[in-house]
Amino acid sequence: MEPGARRGSGRRGRLPSALTRARPAGRPEAQCKSESEAEIPSVPVIEFNPQLYRQRYQFVKDLVDLHEPKKVADLGCGDASLLRQLKIYPCIQLLVGVDIMDEHDLRWNGVKLQPFLGQFLMPRELDLTVILYHGSVVERDSRLLGFDLITCIELIEHLDPDDLARFPEVVFGYLSPSMVVISTPNSEFNPLFEVVTVRDLDHKFEWSRKEFQSWALHVAKTYNYSVEFTGVGKPPAGAESVGFCTQIGIFRKNGGKAAELCVSEQRDQHVYKPVVTISYPSLQQEKYLKTALVSEVWQEVASLRVEYLRGLKEQEEGRELGNQPDACSEAPILWFGPVFTEAGKARIEASSEPFSVKDKFFVPLQRLLAHPRLNHLGASEERMRSLIADSVTLSSDGSAVVTDLHDPPDDDPEDPPDPWDP
Amino acid sequence: MSGRARVRARGIARSPSATEVGRTPVSPSPASVVLSDNEASSSSEFMETSRISLNCKDGVSSGNVGSTFSERGVAISRNFMDLDICTRQKLAHVRDCKTGSSGIPVKLVTNLFSLDLPQDWQLYQYHVTYIPDLASRRLRIALLYSHSELSNKAKAFDGAILFLSQKLKEKVTVLSSETKRGETVKMTITLTSELPSSSPVCIQVFNIIFRKILKKLSMYQIGRNFYNPSEPVEIPQHKLSLWPGFAISVSQFESRLLFSADVSYKVLRNETVLEFMTALCYKTGLSCFSETCEKQLIGLTVLTRYNNKTYRIDDIDWSVRPTHTFQKRDGTEITYMDYYKQQYDITLSDLNQPMLVSLLKSKRNNNTEAQLVHLVPELCFLTGLTDQATSDFQLMKAVAEETRLGPLGRQQRLARLVDDIQRNKDARFELETWGLHFGSQMSLTGRVVPSEKILMQDHVCQPVSSADWSKDIRACKILSAQSLNMWLILCSNRMEIVTESFVNCLRKVGSAMGFNVDYPKIIKVQENPAAFLRAIQQHVHPDVQLVMCILPSNQKNYYDSIKKYLSSDCPVPSQCVLARTLNKQGMMMSVATKIAMQMTCKLGGELWALEIPLKSLMVVGIDVCKDALSKDVVVGCVASINPRITRWFSRCIVQRTVTDVADCLRVFMTGALNKWYKYNHDLPARIIVYRDGVGDGQLKTLVEYEVPQLLTSVTEASSNTSSRLSVIVVRKKCMPRFFTEMNRTVQNPPLGTVVDSEATRPEWYDFYLISQAARQGTVNPTYYNVIYDDNGLKPDHMQRLTFKLCHLYYNWPGLVSIPAPCLYAHKLTFLVAQSIHKEPNLQLANSLFYL
Repeated sequence: MEPGARRGSGRRGRLPSALTRARPAGRPEAQCKSESEAEIPSVPVIEFNPQLYRQRYQFVKDLVDLHEPKKVADLGCGDASLLRQLKIYPCIQLLVGVDIMDEHDLRWNGVKLQPFLGQFLMPRELDLTVILYHGSVVERDSRLLGFDLITCIELIEHLDPDDLARFPEVVFGYLSPSMVVISTPNSEFNPLFEVVTVRDLDHKFEWSRKEFQSWALHVAKTYNYSVEFTGVGKPPAGAESVGFCTQIGIFRKNGGKAAELCVSEQRDQHVYKPVVTISYPSLQQEKYLKTALVSEVWQEVASLRVEYLRGLKEQEEGRELGNQPDACSEAPILWFGPVFTEAGKARIEASSEPFSVKDKFFVPLQRLLAHPRLNHLGASEERMRSLIADSVTLSSDGSAVVTDLHDPPDDDPEDPPDPWDP
Repeated sequence: MSGRARVRARGIARSPSATEVGRTPVSPSPASVVLSDNEASSSSEFMETSRISLNCKDGVSSGNVGSTFSERGVAISRNFMDLDICTRQKLAHVRDCKTGSSGIPVKLVTNLFSLDLPQDWQLYQYHVTYIPDLASRRLRIALLYSHSELSNKAKAFDGAILFLSQKLKEKVTVLSSETKRGETVKMTITLTSELPSSSPVCIQVFNIIFRKILKKLSMYQIGRNFYNPSEPVEIPQHKLSLWPGFAISVSQFESRLLFSADVSYKVLRNETVLEFMTALCYKTGLSCFSETCEKQLIGLTVLTRYNNKTYRIDDIDWSVRPTHTFQKRDGTEITYMDYYKQQYDITLSDLNQPMLVSLLKSKRNNNTEAQLVHLVPELCFLTGLTDQATSDFQLMKAVAEETRLGPLGRQQRLARLVDDIQRNKDARFELETWGLHFGSQMSLTGRVVPSEKILMQDHVCQPVSSADWSKDIRACKILSAQSLNMWLILCSNRMEIVTESFVNCLRKVGSAMGFNVDYPKIIKVQENPAAFLRAIQQHVHPDVQLVMCILPSNQKNYYDSIKKYLSSDCPVPSQCVLARTLNKQGMMMSVATKIAMQMTCKLGGELWALEIPLKSLMVVGIDVCKDALSKDVVVGCVASINPRITRWFSRCIVQRTVTDVADCLRVFMTGALNKWYKYNHDLPARIIVYRDGVGDGQLKTLVEYEVPQLLTSVTEASSNTSSRLSVIVVRKKCMPRFFTEMNRTVQNPPLGTVVDSEATRPEWYDFYLISQAARQGTVNPTYYNVIYDDNGLKPDHMQRLTFKLCHLYYNWPGLVSIPAPCLYAHKLTFLVAQSIHKEPNLQLANSLFYL
């Protein structure tokens, strides 16, 4: 198979070893620059701040912020560093990377896309699935249909003429996402670098702005997209005429989301090999929703109980008119504590209050659901009841959570200060 | 004072540039050290193959770690350092054989798995230099890895030191690569050593390989262990999540390389530090909030939401808010709020929260240069348990219930892990390229040593179960007891009647066991700690033999203030009893029996004895812990002062630093020998010291400093022949677990099981002994390492003597997990470290006043 997005280890095969580059995988600059600002003396000349690769990622991130796509794919994902930056977005629910690099390396890159440990403690609201496919961007795979955004960052310049010719047909014609972002070096900028004629030996070409734009306009016209040109990496003062170091085309599909309609018509065509599939913990999954609900319920019941007991105590002690500056009634101070919105307050006021019968304390589920954080989880009373049923005690009619009104003895009755047990 | 200033004031080395505050979260983190021991280290950034803990500066091996293999520039983590101390070599009588012989053989299954290598397997260590020199470790690694010469080889590389399992053709290989800016870089790879698989460096590389494999199984590394956060055990009422996982390691055991795995749980709090603070503020009120907050949070480890790193909270900076700015690496200023939005798409909800301060120690270059980092409470989760949580009985009970795992459950988890490793394609690939064959679970043969008889005053009893002989000795008289004539009881008004019936009970059970108890003077006091203390100060005079306090609650300050006064200021044995304990229906007799025995010991009595074949033997137990308040080192030493090993000399010394331990041992040993001489008119022929409280990596200090100090005091005590000394390190925590297979299920091995082969280490004179019963869960064998031995006892005798000593803890009529003197020393240090915080009065040293 003639490789499409060869941007990494794939190059090894062709080049004499002496010329092999410093990239086992993925985006060149990401690999080399991220830790070392000036590791190689004598070639600085142009320094970007932030570094160029970061500017490119920031550009994509800004787009995601603005358009909140649900399904995003990065073609030629390399070491997955762009995907790593994108996995933090709450709006994205499917994040896909495709690369032709060594499968084993690609799998290792997947390790970096695992959820953070903290995300198991505080899951996302929406599901997120991250998939890395091994495959060429000039092959069609139906699993990439219907995407909101497809990014091809520093990809096309690595394509052979044949592949480059097939590329638009696959990405625009077949995959047909709502938006495509393509970035590529601007050759007009190159004279500003001291030694470089081509920025990377694997680049099959580097285009001037005119070359890129005419290619892009042609593609856009053919597949009914509109295109907008911009870039990152501002030229130094005095050389503004050369344009951005990296030129970028943003392609938007005319007529919005037509893609989804076609999905069903397409036959399943699975040519890519999935090598990494990661499912993120989220509140859409019952397991995590349940954990979140139960823990919020416990917390809210505990704090309502403390409040209730305090109320009882104040009643007991009579109405010695506020001569004791009760620290706690000062409302959990200046900074933290749940910020109640007006709507939230109204909800709470409308719901029934907690009450006690003998030494049992009852909190109506309604009251719990009125709390902003529980409300936010969006479960109905019925759903909540069934989810928390085996983790808390419910009143006989199931309408309230029941706990002991008073603390249990907080120590082991078997364990006197002079314990007998070793 | 700002948080930063306070950290400084505490004398912690500070980063040279103050602008670095808050900067660390920016950097793509040069997370390096994988083999770190520190829980709080930034550990779980996912490592590439190459990221190994090699200690080098500027590409030149530094060799600054004080162990023999360190000249190769590899920093060996603490738990491997001990393996370099080959104490067995010097012990002629066990050089050839260190196994015992008595008892009945028993077949045991272990949590150890074979790891085989081809016969001639070697690890090749290379040093790599770059011309021009490259500062970026990542670039160095990338250049080397991409080279076709190395692409298909199993390798581990940290930027300077390269390990290969296959030798390169030439001793010196020169490769060149080109950076993307077109510059040619020459890489010179020079062979520096060929290491056999048993070498410590090799062992460390194997550990790196297995860490990589566990990551491949979607497990996360936290500290040294691996956890699976997607299968948590939730304890919502205490806001805890427990993540199941494994502690793993590869090491060279007696005759072969073995992989060991044990089930472990990571405790996480289901709340952010901000939520914790809010709840705390709500509870304490504003006035003492910041103080309480600092007290509870400082020293805890947090996990941040936006990466997988853990940090220790060293301080709280109340003056910095998320709206304040810090300087990024590129020199620009940004607010914390904007930074987290930009970098992680996280919107902070509370813009008034203070900042947590953490001190990062640079691990890469071992200098003391530290960096301060600000962390946002809202983005940090607490891990582990606070001191307050560990003293919460309900919470600890809930945790224990969830984490306790019987032998069968444990065995099933292990089987699943091994299965997962063997099925995983990448794991298999990794093992294969290194030439490792990961195989079967190891079985071995242990021995169950004969059970012991308990000697009472006029009765020899063979207990039905050596786990608990309280029933067996019920009708027997104890060995000796001082009669109790002059004593006080303090109790509250409402406990008066109960107390009186308790006294009657005590007298009855006392006389049955041979402990004569007279009527006490009962003093009624108000229910508050100060009233108790005042009454004690008023009524205790030199003739009072013992003070008993019936405490209304187990509020710690009752106990602490009473113990402090009576252990140190005015030395009188004391007995605290919870009112609740006496109020329990139908329990009075059994409670009275237990308390009578405890009181006997506090008055210097002896409960039972064992047959000790060695005449003139002194046994010593040493334990060390940290004071809960001052963090000083508390050293407890307990020595037997009669040949029957029923009477003890106990002393506790508080030291400023750990290194002083050796010095105080000398003082103690001299005192103990004097005592022995006083009672026996001679010195003991043999002394056997059991040293507990030894951490990883401390073996060298023990051998080089403590043993000589003990020897000095022993030699100085006598002008002619001095006592023969043995020193045994006792460890309650060790990697191996043993199970017996019975009726197609696995169980804990019987009491008295000894393992002295296969799971032991070739360089040590060591053995495992199971001397305690695990009613629930899996038993933890106790590990003994004889590091010094002049006595030349046969290994069999050493093992059996150790087993006998586990029968002599008077606070429990049954076997205990460690030799009695160690447990006494532990009990003593615990009292000092938790309650009295100063050295107890020496007048009490002849009784077990701390039971």
